[in-house]
Amino acid sequence: MGKRFGKILPALMLCAVGVIIVLVGVLYFRFITERIYEDSTGHLEEIYGQVNRSFGIFVERNWGLLDSCDDYFALAGETDDSAVAVFIEEKQDYWGFSGFYFLTEDGRCMTVDGESQIEMASARSALEALNEPVIAGEALPDGKEITVFAAPVRPGVYNGFAYDAIAVSYTNADLSDSLRVDAFSGAAKCFVIHNDGSVLLSTQSGGSVFNSYLLYLQAASDLSEQETARMQRDWQNGVSGLLQCQIGGVTHCILYQPVGYQDYIMLSVVPQSAISAGFLSVQRATVTVLVVIFLLLGAAVLTLFILRSRKRSRMDRMEVQYRERMFDVLSNSVDDIFLMLDARDQSVDYISPNIQRLLGIPVEEARENIRVMERCAVNYNVVIPREELAAIPLNGNRYRECEYMHQTTGERRWYRMTVYHMSIQEVEKYIIVLSDRTQEQQMNQKLQEALTAAQSANEAKSNFLSNMSHDIRTPMNAIVGFSMLLEKDAADPGKVREYTRKITASSQHLLSLINDVLDMSKIESGKTSLNLDVFSLPELLEELNIILLPQAKAKGQSLTVHVQGAPPEQIMGDKLRLNQILINLLSNAIKYTPEGGRIEFAVTELEPPASQYVKLRFVVRDNGIGMSEEFQKHVFAPFSREISSVTNKIQGTGLGMAITKNLVDLMGGIIQVESEPGQGSTFSVELSFALPERQEETEAWVRQKVTRMLVADDEEDICRDIQELMSGAGVDVSYVTDGAPAVELAVQAHARGGDYDVILLDWKMPGMDGVEAARQIRRRIGGDVPILVLTSYDWSDIEEEARAAGINAFMHKPFFASTFWQTIKPLFFEPAAQTEEPAAAPAENVMAGRLFLVAEDNELNAEILTEVLDMEGARCEVASNGREAVEMFQRSEPGYYDMILMDVQMPVMNGYEATRLIRASGHPRAKTIPIVAMTANTFAEDVRNSLDAGMDGHLGKPLDIDAVRELVGRLLGGAAPGEAEKSEEGEST
Amino acid sequence: MRKRHLSLLALALIFALLLPACGQQGGDGHVTLTIMGKTSDLQKSYMAAIFDRYEQATGNSLKIINYEDAAFEETAAAQFEAGNVPDIFMHFHNSDLERFDVAEHFYYLNDEPWVEDLTDGARAYCEDSEGNLLGLPYWENSISGCYYNKTILDGLGLKPATTQAEFDTLCQALADIGYTPICWPGNGCSWMIQFGLDPLFADDPEVLEKINRNEISYADIPAVEDMVRWIADAAKKGWFGSDYTRTGWDDIGPVMSSGDAVMTFIWDTWFYTDMTHEGKYDIEDFALMPVFMNTADGGTYEGGNLNMMMVNKNGSQLEAALEFLEFCATPENYNAAFDGISTVNCFKGQTTNIQSSMVTNASVSIADKMRVSTAASRIVGYSAEDMVKALEELLNGRVDVPGCVSLMDSYRLKEAGLLPEQQNE
Repeated sequence: MGKRFGKILPALMLCAVGVIIVLVGVLYFRFITERIYEDSTGHLEEIYGQVNRSFGIFVERNWGLLDSCDDYFALAGETDDSAVAVFIEEKQDYWGFSGFYFLTEDGRCMTVDGESQIEMASARSALEALNEPVIAGEALPDGKEITVFAAPVRPGVYNGFAYDAIAVSYTNADLSDSLRVDAFSGAAKCFVIHNDGSVLLSTQSGGSVFNSYLLYLQAASDLSEQETARMQRDWQNGVSGLLQCQIGGVTHCILYQPVGYQDYIMLSVVPQSAISAGFLSVQRATVTVLVVIFLLLGAAVLTLFILRSRKRSRMDRMEVQYRERMFDVLSNSVDDIFLMLDARDQSVDYISPNIQRLLGIPVEEARENIRVMERCAVNYNVVIPREELAAIPLNGNRYRECEYMHQTTGERRWYRMTVYHMSIQEVEKYIIVLSDRTQEQQMNQKLQEALTAAQSANEAKSNFLSNMSHDIRTPMNAIVGFSMLLEKDAADPGKVREYTRKITASSQHLLSLINDVLDMSKIESGKTSLNLDVFSLPELLEELNIILLPQAKAKGQSLTVHVQGAPPEQIMGDKLRLNQILINLLSNAIKYTPEGGRIEFAVTELEPPASQYVKLRFVVRDNGIGMSEEFQKHVFAPFSREISSVTNKIQGTGLGMAITKNLVDLMGGIIQVESEPGQGSTFSVELSFALPERQEETEAWVRQKVTRMLVADDEEDICRDIQELMSGAGVDVSYVTDGAPAVELAVQAHARGGDYDVILLDWKMPGMDGVEAARQIRRRIGGDVPILVLTSYDWSDIEEEARAAGINAFMHKPFFASTFWQTIKPLFFEPAAQTEEPAAAPAENVMAGRLFLVAEDNELNAEILTEVLDMEGARCEVASNGREAVEMFQRSEPGYYDMILMDVQMPVMNGYEATRLIRASGHPRAKTIPIVAMTANTFAEDVRNSLDAGMDGHLGKPLDIDAVRELVGRLLGGAAPGEAEKSEEGEST
Repeated sequence: MRKRHLSLLALALIFALLLPACGQQGGDGHVTLTIMGKTSDLQKSYMAAIFDRYEQATGNSLKIINYEDAAFEETAAAQFEAGNVPDIFMHFHNSDLERFDVAEHFYYLNDEPWVEDLTDGARAYCEDSEGNLLGLPYWENSISGCYYNKTILDGLGLKPATTQAEFDTLCQALADIGYTPICWPGNGCSWMIQFGLDPLFADDPEVLEKINRNEISYADIPAVEDMVRWIADAAKKGWFGSDYTRTGWDDIGPVMSSGDAVMTFIWDTWFYTDMTHEGKYDIEDFALMPVFMNTADGGTYEGGNLNMMMVNKNGSQLEAALEFLEFCATPENYNAAFDGISTVNCFKGQTTNIQSSMVTNASVSIADKMRVSTAASRIVGYSAEDMVKALEELLNGRVDVPGCVSLMDSYRLKEAGLLPEQQNE
């Protein structure tokens, strides 16, 4: 109640002020009007009092005129009419009267000209009644009305006409002019009337139509009978008076005052507006000014009010715009969506523009119909039904969780929809806030996944630790156990050797386990990088063959290598890593294939991704134990090993495949596996390699006149591959799939006088093997044609027999042109030397007598090394760190040390720095003394770092004495201890 | 007076004796005169009476050739064209008379013995612009003016006006009291306008000739615009009352007899033929004053439209025809013919007709201010209905005063066939 009163209070006050102003204005207006009436009527009385007096003077002067005429006529006598006429004419000229008349007692009259046209009945009767000068109204024959001033005179005769009165007349028109006043805007009318109302003369134009103004007033005015009677009494009594009445709807003032002659009354009739015109104009001006002032003030107040309202409205609008803009910007920068609905019809008042970004719904479309949001619904109706909205109490709210899907991207988003029902400026609205929960939801999911992963990792770690515990404890158990037995049976040399061999085997296994774990750790930590260089694919395959063939042979397995197509022999890649991949696959195949099983290794050239690349597929297929389908899914996961009765007997870290997979990924390739338990497994690796700019020239074959060759292999694919490969080099290849036809072809060619330039025979063929075929060829055509054996097997067992049968050389499968060329080149250019070269001398102990400078900070390792070298007949001097090693070397005489074995991680100075200092020192052998890294850092990077530091080789700890021996042999060759120095000095001199 | 009558009778007898010898003589020496006119005109009682009286008195015969009213002008003109001009031709002195070539066919009667007996108004009506008397007026005469209710005026202390200013004052005084000053039948009545125009053309025959020669137009005559403006002002001031546009011919009687209106512009015979006597006021309450329409300061009356008998000057019976006119103009004969007929005198010696006291009382004023009906009769192309149409456009606010005058001119020129496109046609 109080609030409403407060609202209408200003209006009430405004109304009260308005009423007061109006009341004051009315009172002021009334006061002014009364004052004006008093002043204006006074003004009227004053003016017409003056007119009345002037008329009286005029009348008196006419009486005087008539008196003077009477005197003159009396003097002139009856005989001098002409003089009278002249006298009258002079007077007329002076006075301006319209006529002069001589009147008789019987009412007749005569003019100066002697005419008698009118009867002045009114004047005559007045004269008779009053016997004194009178004023009377008469009419001329032409209708013109005149006013006559007549006076009795001494009887006389004029022109024979006896008279006793004379008169002068004025036309009423002329006389009216003397009564007319210019005041009152010419609206004033003045009448000279008798006291009975009959009109003598009027100043009004056409006023002659008024015969009796009394009757007219009675009919035309609103005067009451009493007022009329009183006015009439005043006229009768010669009393002045003032009346106000309405005539024709216009307020008039009627002023009457006696003229002073006979019963004449001077009647003035003036419109009130004309009387008060001057005052009214002042009043109007005053009122107008006041009104204008009030209006201006009102207009100013109104304008101020409007301007302030507009300004406020504009500011409100701007504020709304700013807020909307700011809210738009704000909403665009957040992932919450805001809506405002009209509670009456649920039309959209506002929707934040980010709805398009977040849900893919155009803003305009959503603004038109909020139900379009239902399209994004994932879980259930995302727009609350009308009934449910209506059920939300005012100032209450509801919320629910919603899941939306972006209309264009399909992205899922989660929101908490909160609906507030509130009143804004007395209009009920629903404000809907969609709070983005997507990140929270996704984080929860990730946390869940992470939890799962962590649990899985934890499980894997537990498994790993369990496995490692088993895998480490197993060899360690053997080492510890056999060491105990060794101590116990130290007196039995046979058992000592047996225990020592088993301890060594267990140690090797433990070492490989540690290497794999470390390698995997390094790969996973991202520290592994590729060392790209040009390498020979045939060499790689050759090395693999050399490494793995003995293992396969040991298990009675066949290991065949096929190269399909004609892949380039020189390719760019990390040979070490590729070697590691293939060894892992092949060694696994050998490991998990039972004895007598079959392992196939195939290299196939695929369509390259670009012209400067070659894409190769390496396939390792075995017919081993295979893998379950479930295990295939995580065969590449670390520490994964299929648990079975067979695998449990096979040593492994479970990291080999993980390392392989990671290396393939690192090289940008793909690795796939197909397997079936009991049927074997097939691993395929596809890798792309860049091609070096220059390849071996193929024209060399033609230049060396090798144009025809014969190939015999029971695998026709290999024959076709060789044919295809060599045809590109201009060599015509004939092939057969058995030894016997090969013999026949060779004989036939020889018979035609065109021997084959080269004959290539597979060792093992179903019919006649290669050795027998070679023997028969030599027997039938002689020993001119070079015969080579191509085999996947180790030919060492048959080498002697084969050479005896006439075979010139051996080649490992697969067939490569470059290998082939390198093999036969000595046969064409140095046939004698080849054939006459004595058999290789038995292997010499390269270690014996050597003096090594050993840099090793670990005393135990130093002691072991000292003992090992001693066993090999060598000696060593030990430096406990790199600096000490440098100093010892610098102090040594040239040739004192044969080689330096340098640990890498040492206190004071590490091996790399020590090597650099040695190489930089001024010692005569600073540049030439072999320095070999001897370190537990066995990764490829470690090898490369060692070489970069200036070392010549790398030996991993624990030391493999065979590797030491091989390296020493390679680096020092056949040089006797101390000879290296001498030969070097000789070369240098 | 008695001697005069006797001499005229003797003269008539002499004519009667002489007529057989001078006229178209039959076998018995009597002549037969042909008289051509409208059927309705020739059937008037006083015409029939004078024809009978003539034939009886003289033994001569009158061959009446009458044409239906609607076809009269065309038929008669064709007869004239064919040379069949009658001895006596009856026609009003209006613009249609022009087609009968007055100067060629008719005898000027200026010197006839009965001319002096004609009243001024009647004689003026029958004269052409050069003062030649074209015919003998023989018709019901009337005086058009402002007839007012003198009883009301007297009761209000008012007098009839003698000037335009007085008339305006009188109108305003009556309006102030609450009367309708003027009964102005604005619905289809058109005669009032010609009253105002008469002074402009009757007082200055040259103006009439110029406008008929299309040398000037109404717009060139300032008084025409003055009249139109006065009518507009009067209507605006309420002098015609508030309902004048619906006041027609039949409403004039009730309005005047009831006293609702005090004055109207009409003619005297209207009081005998159409005045309703059932109201508060009767004919005795009325009097006559001039019409004031701001074209003549002293006001104006309009004389009646008179049918006149003209004589074929080329006919073989000219003398007999002149004698016939003289017979008709003899006081005994016209008094016998117009006995009991309500008409203003055409002859000074008329005594048996009925002439209203209103006219008689205003005779001095009438003699001074009466004009021959000029505008309607003599202006070629003048159409009272067209004038009303133009005035309605003004009073309805569709044109202003100059526009109204322009419309009046347009209508007039169109009626006269003087519009440029009609000329081209």
